[in-house]
Amino acid sequence: MTLVLHDTWYLMIRALKESIRQPALEIGNVFIPMFFFAVTVGAIGNVAGKAFGVTNYTAFQLPVAVLQAVAGASGTAGLATVGDIERGYFDKLMLTPAPRISLVLGRLAADGVRVMALTILIVVVGLLFGSGMKSGPLGVVVLVAMGGIFGLAYSGLGMALALKTGSAQAAQLGFLIFFPLVFLSPAFAPKAVFSPWLRFLATINPVTYIVQGMRDLVLSGWDPASLAAAFGAIAGLGLFTMTLVLLALRSRTS
Amino acid sequence: MPAIVAEALTKHFTPEIRAVDGIDLDIDDGQIFGFLGANGSGKTTTVRMLTTLLRPTSGRAQVAGLDVFSQPGAVRRCIGVALQEVGLDDIQTGRELLQLQARLYGLASSGIAARVQQLLDIVDLADAADRRVKTYSGGMRRRLDLAAALVHRPKVVFLDEPTTGLDPISREAIWRYVRELNTSEGVTFFLTTQYLEEADRLADEVAIMDAGKIVSQGSPADLKSSIGTDVVTLRIDGGPDELKRGEAAVRRMEGIEDVRIVNDAVIVYVADGSAAISRLVLLLDEASLRAREVTLAQPTLDDVFLQKTGHHLEDGSVAPQAEQNALAQSKGHGR
Repeated sequence: MTLVLHDTWYLMIRALKESIRQPALEIGNVFIPMFFFAVTVGAIGNVAGKAFGVTNYTAFQLPVAVLQAVAGASGTAGLATVGDIERGYFDKLMLTPAPRISLVLGRLAADGVRVMALTILIVVVGLLFGSGMKSGPLGVVVLVAMGGIFGLAYSGLGMALALKTGSAQAAQLGFLIFFPLVFLSPAFAPKAVFSPWLRFLATINPVTYIVQGMRDLVLSGWDPASLAAAFGAIAGLGLFTMTLVLLALRSRTS
Repeated sequence: MPAIVAEALTKHFTPEIRAVDGIDLDIDDGQIFGFLGANGSGKTTTVRMLTTLLRPTSGRAQVAGLDVFSQPGAVRRCIGVALQEVGLDDIQTGRELLQLQARLYGLASSGIAARVQQLLDIVDLADAADRRVKTYSGGMRRRLDLAAALVHRPKVVFLDEPTTGLDPISREAIWRYVRELNTSEGVTFFLTTQYLEEADRLADEVAIMDAGKIVSQGSPADLKSSIGTDVVTLRIDGGPDELKRGEAAVRRMEGIEDVRIVNDAVIVYVADGSAAISRLVLLLDEASLRAREVTLAQPTLDDVFLQKTGHHLEDGSVAPQAEQNALAQSKGHGR
């Protein structure tokens, strides 16, 4: 376990250096969530109260911006791994005695750190525009951690596709899958106003619980049941994506 | 103890694509072993199996006394590998890349800086150590890749075509490092190559690989002497018909071991080449053929390769689909 953490740490540092040395690659990841946050609040914020009883739509939308940050970062680990595979560097890493799980966790953890940095930025912007934070400073910490862990877990999908196919296009599929998951959740309006079929889909969609958990931290304060559901959904998703990653990793040597 | 042992090692990507077809190896500790073959002959697939990157279809292998397939982690601690495709990260500097490599091999933090500097000095990259790898030339990249393979002082080093595409000076430099390490630290090298000169000059023992099988093995001197003849090359004016007539004509001479047509020449293997030349030219003359060039030589590894495989090493691929498959394995999806 110590070895896994040791090697994951150094591989994460290496992955983060890539972001620092190629800052242009991060522009989209910062711009897209901020842009949609501003546009959505600007377009719907004034009518949200009358339409579905949400008075502070900035706070209501803040978790959605975090999810979009996750979507943006979700392709990074997979894409970078495709680059490593194409350059032959992934083989070089596979030839070291580093636990194979560390080779992928290093990059996924770097995605988690990127999402955490973006979440902090989103929270700051949200606070400046009046979102507030009912759960206080500790709530910010939990929100940032939740974003980071969700980012790590969700990036596993792109990573699994990258390892299995070695294709950059496939590695970005996680980004495309993310949008239906967000739109089939109460991201833009409360579940109570959904039609029955959409309410059913939202109920079985794990992203619903993650949005709700984050939203409660911002809008309502501490709700242990809501937080447990959110972390449970992230854990379930993470278990699913890590299983895919391990299967894909195994297939590379068979 | 042998450094590398393989028994009936086999990799079939499909029933038709038999990249490696039941090879046996027994390589002594401290040897430089040359694995000679054309593109697609199965060299890279063999290296990928022996270095734990690819599971075999059947057979067994040991490296440094460890079973490659049941103890892959332990094997990886003992081996250094520089694959045919130089595996480097362009974003890091040379020093950073070696430092990360050292950390992943579990070197003590206190010793990493000194070991990295030592390797940079050995491969003449100290001046470029703090530049990003993307600024390195092909020769510098090869040298850095070799340094990365040596960072943990491995007992056995696999070099897959380490000098392919390099200029003569860089090639000489790589040969020098290999020899020095072999002599000073007793490192065993498993070196695949398609350069005859490389195998001849570096290797203590050579195996010739063709279409997934080892067709001959021994020291370069033994392999050459196994031919047991001189080699006379007759370049004949004309086209394929003249070459066939020339081959038929010289076959009439007594004492000839073998005759082959290779490109625009008739190659004659004969015990006493200098005595045979005048008679060979006469036989061509009687067949109304003219030899525009006649050369006499001792057998080379190329002659050994030709005799064992039926083609020159530089004639090209024997089973390119197998090599492509191996490459797809490393770059694309796994199987």
